[in-house]
Amino acid sequence: MKRYFRELSVAGALLILLLVLALFAPAFFQPQPLRSLLTREAPTLVVACGMAFVIIIRQIDISVGSQFAVCSVCAGLLAALKWPLVLVLPASVALGALMGAFNGMLVAGLRLPSIVVTLATMVTWREALRWQRQGQFVNLPDNLQWFGLSQSGGQWTLIGAALVVLTLLAWATRHLAAGRFIYAIGSDAEAARLAGLRPQSTTFAVFVFMGALVGLAAMMNVVQSPQVDPKSGSGLELKVIAAAVVGGVAVSGGRGRLWGVFAGLLLLACISPALTHFHVEAYWEKAIQGAIILLAVVADGVRSRKQIR
Amino acid sequence: MKKPSPLLLLLAVLALATACNKAPEASSGPAGSARKLSIALMPKSKGNAYFISCKAGADKAAKELGADLIFDGPTDPDPAKQNEIVENWIALGVDVMAVACENKEGISTALRKAQSKGIKVVTYDADALPDSRSFFVNQATPEGIGYMLMDEAARLCGGSGEFAIITASLTAANMIEWQKHIEARRAASFPNMKMVALRPCDDLKDKAQSESTALLSANPGLKLIMAICSPAVPGAAEAVKQAGKVGRVKVIGLGLPSENRRYIKEGVTDSVILWKTEDLGYLAVQAAAGLAKGTLKTGDKSFASGSLGQFEIQGDNILLGKPFVFNKDNIDQFNF
Repeated sequence: MKRYFRELSVAGALLILLLVLALFAPAFFQPQPLRSLLTREAPTLVVACGMAFVIIIRQIDISVGSQFAVCSVCAGLLAALKWPLVLVLPASVALGALMGAFNGMLVAGLRLPSIVVTLATMVTWREALRWQRQGQFVNLPDNLQWFGLSQSGGQWTLIGAALVVLTLLAWATRHLAAGRFIYAIGSDAEAARLAGLRPQSTTFAVFVFMGALVGLAAMMNVVQSPQVDPKSGSGLELKVIAAAVVGGVAVSGGRGRLWGVFAGLLLLACISPALTHFHVEAYWEKAIQGAIILLAVVADGVRSRKQIR
Repeated sequence: MKKPSPLLLLLAVLALATACNKAPEASSGPAGSARKLSIALMPKSKGNAYFISCKAGADKAAKELGADLIFDGPTDPDPAKQNEIVENWIALGVDVMAVACENKEGISTALRKAQSKGIKVVTYDADALPDSRSFFVNQATPEGIGYMLMDEAARLCGGSGEFAIITASLTAANMIEWQKHIEARRAASFPNMKMVALRPCDDLKDKAQSESTALLSANPGLKLIMAICSPAVPGAAEAVKQAGKVGRVKVIGLGLPSENRRYIKEGVTDSVILWKTEDLGYLAVQAAAGLAKGTLKTGDKSFASGSLGQFEIQGDNILLGKPFVFNKDNIDQFNF
């Protein structure tokens, strides 16, 4: 029980929030808006899983929002050129992986601090996109939305896809050697190296994987509407880092579970609509989200101090 | 009409005579002008659909005036390149320039230099510092925008009902200004309209969609969503569409016709409010020409602009007037 304390406390907070909503704002649980909410968060969940890996291996990637925008716009442009979906999807994933590889090369190859590298690529990708699109939307062909399925069919597909990604990755972190390597390197890179692991190539691989997940998530977002906003993904890095930290991923690396991240993401995602349902002024939203993140970080700090003693 | 003073008449005749003496070949032009007026017009960037449609109006004005129009600007919004082009125009010796400024401070030095060489300067769409130009052709006042949005909302709701506003951020100065006028108009003319929520969308379409989805389920009596930043209009429309509330919940907002065409045609979005960009280009060129010819002077209260008629001047702002409503009936005439 104690091992899962962080994850369980997030899940508990989420349950309390849902309970309060059920009592005072039952309209929150109407099927259509709820399904819409989950669909909108599905791409974020995919990115958050990748971010959890990056933080567990003691790195950070704040360029994911910009990568997301670049992949979205490129996928949109390819789809507008009448590329079929079966080609657009791998192209988006490959492009994301390529941008991830660029980060990984600089972080793992040149041993530069990831916060600086990804800050630079965040600004570079975002500004390059602004220069190229000048804020103009990309109009998509009609049959792309919801993969050409009905609205509810498309929404369930996206939610399902995100859950499959989550389950597979959660399983991989427990049962695949590569998954264990990430924890080992995040806990102590030097010890891992002496044990025969290769921290630099694993770090590189994690950044590439992060990028590929962003490419997938971008595609999952593109199919949700008939236009691509070139600003999409702004602030995504904060959302997913917050979800990971609130979900119990230790900022000092080496620890974290994906289902905790899932709970953290849902908790943060429900706050904004919950405030709307309680008719609370929007001014409070960011402050409440900030307070939750702060609480999680402080709890994390207190617990790790106790462990040291 | 006032009788022209005899002295003025005498001067006019003299001027005409000297003009004819010096350059008899130009006598077909308007009285007093020895050569064709050259007007330079600068967009923020050349490839932008918005400014291309401004240029269509500018061309029309230049044709009516019999003036030469030079249209040049950076390929991408670039303040340094704008300065360069102004310098070129100074060297070229144009009579007057009309500029949409990418950077207020950045371009003002170059514009002051142009003025010191006797070149008249007006700005349009986005202003420079006031001392670097004579007039700013102002496409919309906050009051005009706020009143228009509220009037349109009340018209669609039949004068009563709940509505919600989606803004870019709770701190954006221009939007706070618009909200003030929306509220003033509501209180004065439509007391039965009730604003139930104000939500920020961080200027993102996707966030606007999430916010609208929550608004729709939290406020079952909602009759209209008013989106006052441009990405929020299609975002709100998509939310209404996905909620299956097309027709029951109306969507209006400030935005570009091109981003909303699809939803307007589907009947999700009822109207999008902006100005007529063609008229903006037309008025900018007419004002530039008026300034060069002396028919527009500092302190004037109104300006007669060719085929578009009279425009009000507030201080040194020439007002384009009421914003324009794009809807199902006219959206296909606009391609920006």
